Amino acid sequence: MNRTEIMAKLNEIFCDVFDDEDIVLTDATNSDDIEDWDSLEQINLLVAIEKQFSIKFSLADVADLENVGAMVDLIERMVG
Amino acid sequence: MNSYKFSDLSVGMSEKFTVTITEEMMNKFIEITGDVSPIHVSAEYAKEHGFATRVCHGMLFGSMFSTMAGVYLPGEHCLLHSVETKFSLPVYPGDVLTVTGKISEINDTFKTVFVKGTITNQNGKKVCKANIQLGVRE
Repeated sequence: MNRTEIMAKLNEIFCDVFDDEDIVLTDATNSDDIEDWDSLEQINLLVAIEKQFSIKFSLADVADLENVGAMVDLIERMVG
Repeated sequence: MNSYKFSDLSVGMSEKFTVTITEEMMNKFIEITGDVSPIHVSAEYAKEHGFATRVCHGMLFGSMFSTMAGVYLPGEHCLLHSVETKFSLPVYPGDVLTVTGKISEINDTFKTVFVKGTITNQNGKKVCKANIQLGVRE
């Protein structure tokens, strides 16, 4: 799975979790850009990502994710 | 009250309790929330609109999921994150409700527990269901 495919699936997850079909992610998107993106929704996002990509995060994996680009990088590494 | 810790919990664990809805509970709910919609206040009005009698507020019996989480599953150490609730049938004073919670998923990394909640009436009909998400304090 390439980076573009991961971003597309991630965009679907964000739209679903935040119940907002208008979300368009970029590498630079972070929690300042989405009003409802708080610590609880962060957990919901990460749990949804684990299911979608059949991966399992550790706390260390996700502790310093600063934006969507970092998320995509992490997923790309984990799915191989 | 139960006092399950995170490590005590497993997928499939369930708890249940029963509660009888009374007019007094509905009146207290009206006093607290100010929801005086006539369907909840007037038996006559409710009957005119096709209901058996005054209808219990969904958020009243839905609040039993708070009890499920905070008293039963996991109980004392619960931190309730969210409750997504759907109401499928009317509930009336005198109805005897069975509230059930069953763990559907546990995420070890994020210490998050997902519980499927259901409420059935004395006739075995499902009146409400919920997706409950919670944490467990260490």
